[in-house]
Amino acid sequence: MKSTKFTPASKLSKAEIDRKWWEVGDFFRRNSLWMLMYCTGCCAIELPPAMTSAYDMERLGMGPMATPRQADILLVSGYLSLKTLRRLIYTYEQMSEPRYVVALGSCPINGGIYHDSHAVINKLDQYIPVDVYVAGCMPNTESVMNGFVDLMDQIKRKTAVGWKKYHENNAWYKENQKTSLGEVVVHDEFHE
Amino acid sequence: MTNSMNNIEFVNDLVKGTVEVVKSEVIDKFQVSFEIKKNEVHLLLTKLKSAGWIQLSYLSAIDWLEENKFELIYILMNWEKPVYIQVRTKIDRENPVMDSILPIFGGAKYYEREAHEFFGIAFPGNPDYEKQLILEGWDDIPPLRKDFDPKAYSDKKFPQRDYPQDYSVKDPKESKQAKREARKQRAESLRGGKKQ
Ligand code: SF4
Repeated sequence: MKSTKFTPASKLSKAEIDRKWWEVGDFFRRNSLWMLMYCTGCCAIELPPAMTSAYDMERLGMGPMATPRQADILLVSGYLSLKTLRRLIYTYEQMSEPRYVVALGSCPINGGIYHDSHAVINKLDQYIPVDVYVAGCMPNTESVMNGFVDLMDQIKRKTAVGWKKYHENNAWYKENQKTSLGEVVVHDEFHE
Repeated sequence: MTNSMNNIEFVNDLVKGTVEVVKSEVIDKFQVSFEIKKNEVHLLLTKLKSAGWIQLSYLSAIDWLEENKFELIYILMNWEKPVYIQVRTKIDRENPVMDSILPIFGGAKYYEREAHEFFGIAFPGNPDYEKQLILEGWDDIPPLRKDFDPKAYSDKKFPQRDYPQDYSVKDPKESKQAKREARKQRAESLRGGKKQ
């Protein structure tokens, strides 16, 4: 008697089956993205119109998420001082994988208008890998949305591999974090 | 009945009766400023507090590099008579020390820590003025002193992004502009619009 269970006709190798599953996973992954919004700077003001009825990012399957462990995207909006960077790295390392980083504005790209400040870092991708940069000071909401669509496209084409890079080049990232921050440990009166 | 002009006169009389004023200025009808000597600050602040200026709104410093002085500014607010009083005093820039006003205004604790961190002013009497408050792992002279060069520090400390020198398209065959033009013309002709 023929089994009613579905049995694939072709003989796929294990690697091929794994890849197929990963593709299926990617489809769902890119259509349900939860963002952890690390709103450090003025660019964050572009997010309310992106989330509310004007652009309604939920139609892309995206939504805000409160905790790093449940989020897929780390959204860095704006300038990062050394003090904030320390917390950002904490947050990034708590996120589950695969994890993506989207950086808004010119500040994470090259320091923006704070490029000569004593506290603001000039290059975010020295410290954590960035998948999508949205340029502009501040970027308008269309380009923010476009950045998310680009990220989905990258997930589809399997080029959003920042989280893998972070594993492969971990020593390099750690070294950079150390040279700028000393060490990534918070020492203040609330953490002692 | 009190009005704001009476309030300012009242403050003037009060301050001038207590300490020697180096310079005074009426900024607007809600704000007056007095510059006094360093050793009379505590006396004046105590007097003002008992006269109703119970809130220390702000304490900050200004770096007068050419005069080689730091200026400390204490801003007090009275909720009965709406006048802000700025008490200003100049201290030596080479060896900046100012006794803490913690016994008078407890809220000065954090302002003094901030002034120490950003200008390097010492506040003996405040038990933890030397604790770090905002900057973490700071390794240079205090950053808001005028002789600190933030650009040089940033260049030294943070890697800058390098950009390739020539980013324009050299090869005309690869020019996106020309391709875009061609596409536009073709679209026009298909629509039967502009005739070539
Ligand atoms: S890029 Fe411009 S708008 Fe965005 S955080 Fe920097 S200064 Fe603010």
